[in-house]
Amino acid sequence: MERSIVVVAEHTQGRLTPVTYEAMACALEIQRIQPARIVTVVVGEDAVEVAQEAIDACDQSVLAVKVPGLDSYNGEAYRWTLSHALCGLGASWICVPGTTQGFDFGPGLAVRLGASCLSNIERVFEQDGQPIFVRNLFNGKISAELSAAAPTLLIVQPGSFRWERHDIKGRSYVEVITVEWAPTHTRLLGFKSLYPVDSALRDALVIVSAGRGIERRENLELIHRVASLFPRSAVAGSRPLCDNQWLPYRLQVGQTGATVAPDLYMACGISGAQQHLAGMRGSKFIVAVNTDPEAAIFHEADVGVVEDLEVFLADLLEESARLTP
Amino acid sequence: MKILVCVKQAPPADAPIKIDQSQQWVSVYGHALPQMGKYDEYAVEQAIIIKEQVPGTTVDAITNGPAEWATVLRRALGMGVDHGIQALTLEGGYASALKTVSCIALAVRARSYDLILTGVMSEDLAQGLVGPMLAETLSFSCVTSCVSLRVDESRNCVYAERDIEGGRRQLVELALPALVTMQSSTNRPRYPSLSNIMRANSQELEVITVESSEDAVSCEKLLRLSSPQKTRSAVFLQGSSKDKARELLSILRKRSVLH
Ligand SMILES: Cc1cc2nc3c(=O)[nH]c(=O)nc-3n(C[C@H](O)[C@H](O)[C@H](O)COP(=O)(O)OP(=O)(O)OC[C@H]3O[C@@H](n4cnc5c(N)ncnc54)[C@H](O)[C@@H]3O)c2cc1C
Ligand SMILES: Nc1ncnc2c1ncn2[C@@H]1O[C@H](COP(=O)(O)O)[C@@H](O)[C@H]1O
Repeated sequence: MERSIVVVAEHTQGRLTPVTYEAMACALEIQRIQPARIVTVVVGEDAVEVAQEAIDACDQSVLAVKVPGLDSYNGEAYRWTLSHALCGLGASWICVPGTTQGFDFGPGLAVRLGASCLSNIERVFEQDGQPIFVRNLFNGKISAELSAAAPTLLIVQPGSFRWERHDIKGRSYVEVITVEWAPTHTRLLGFKSLYPVDSALRDALVIVSAGRGIERRENLELIHRVASLFPRSAVAGSRPLCDNQWLPYRLQVGQTGATVAPDLYMACGISGAQQHLAGMRGSKFIVAVNTDPEAAIFHEADVGVVEDLEVFLADLLEESARLTP
Repeated sequence: MKILVCVKQAPPADAPIKIDQSQQWVSVYGHALPQMGKYDEYAVEQAIIIKEQVPGTTVDAITNGPAEWATVLRRALGMGVDHGIQALTLEGGYASALKTVSCIALAVRARSYDLILTGVMSEDLAQGLVGPMLAETLSFSCVTSCVSLRVDESRNCVYAERDIEGGRRQLVELALPALVTMQSSTNRPRYPSLSNIMRANSQELEVITVESSEDAVSCEKLLRLSSPQKTRSAVFLQGSSKDKARELLSILRKRSVLH
């Protein structure tokens, strides 16, 4: 059987999500190392319509798995239909976007296919004709290189691979299959939209963001005072602060919170977990204040301050007051 | 209702670590004590909440790791878990999810749990794999990244709220037996109570050895650990805290984010 590299597309409201393109970019890198046909697979009631967008983007083949009645993501449906659809594709590598959806169906799908599974893939390089996969461990402090035997399902880290639009050379085509599916164990009861992203975060030019390193709730006061040094600023935070109910969830920055891109993002006592970086990586200028010189946030920052934030932010306020006539 | 919680030990998020000589694992220096993973604590908390709500519920905890990991089982017992199972491995260090899953599956398959809870991800490997792979191996229904859970015994199902992107939650009904991975939420994991700690310290743990049936070929291999590549090269400010404060103000003025 001809071997292939499969990309499982993620889509919402009839459109591919940006992370799908990143997973395609990861597949292209593997293809450069180990030539094989790339097949993008789209699952859902509107698979055929969504597949058209994939075809327009690349010269690979696309498999639309039309599942009547599947109008939003259901893990059971994805595992079941994909394990059938992928059977005939001879997939060596299966690239899945690393969203809460990819993490929900990917690992189980791997087991069903008899494949192994690696997550948080952020880079691929070649060694002796084999792809080597890079991911981080220990909250971004350590980088690990892993080799795996095909078939392996790869959960691709959002924000790590860049998709570049290229001229379409070959002929791509959509193959459509229809799969009947009815839930047996998992029933969707709907969605709750709890935390509309705060518009203040979207409009702010400066965001001063607090992490678990602030240690005490009272220190939020310092964060607010630092924010007030800047025009058009806002205060935000990492997930643990919202879990603690020190900040409302609508001020959470990250994968499951807001995506922001201010002129200045000041991360105070934030370690730089992937899921947090996903929401602020696009900021134009990043300043990080952290006691741990090894914290992963410094890998993303433009300016690093290794200090206790309580001391440093107080000094910052004092120096600012002194210098302002 | 029979519940199992999977727990493991890891250094705390801000523990200073360095790559050891083998380049295969890390050593933790300083006084940082290894502890139960943050998300595992949420899983234990959720299990105890169900135990308090559903009469006749028992909660076991399992860990698949070296002998030192007994401490996380004691912590779980301290929080109110009834029974601790230690599936011993000879060494610590990197473990393929496939191997961990096959060990846990061997240890629990015959025990007919109704509900298994795990953390959404571990603190050190942060894979997010062991829960959903275990579910599939045991043919349990599965949902990941949940912030709340309610059991309906009469209907033999659980209702779960999955935390997803964009500040939204997906509501799902799952048939038992089910495996659910827990995300952090406002449900603060409780501290071990004094009476439970006394009980935990005197209670025997069940220690078993399981050989993974997974041959080494199908597992990925860790080739090398290194320091990560930097995306941006941070300029580290030097001097006293006050010097750094002045320097930062001047940088921000030059960039015109501050007037
Ligand atoms: C599916 C999923 C989705 C997630 N979504 C999000 C999300 O949207 N947003 C988000 O933020 N997280 C999210 N998380 C959680 C994320 O993985 C991290 O756990 C979280 O971002 C950690 O927050 P933190 O950096 O504030 O805390 P920690 O990781 O605990 O870091 C605290 C930092 O403070 C430093 N520190 C301690 N004391 C001081 C001091 N006195 N002065 C200065 N520094 C100090 C420490 O060195 C450390 O680096 C998600 C996780 C999962 C699994
Ligand atoms: N060795 C282990 N023993 C027991 N539980 C584990 C082990 N490894 C992982 N888990 C569970 O699986 C979850 C996810 O781990 P991971 O897939 O490594 O991110 C953890 O939060 C634990 O609940």
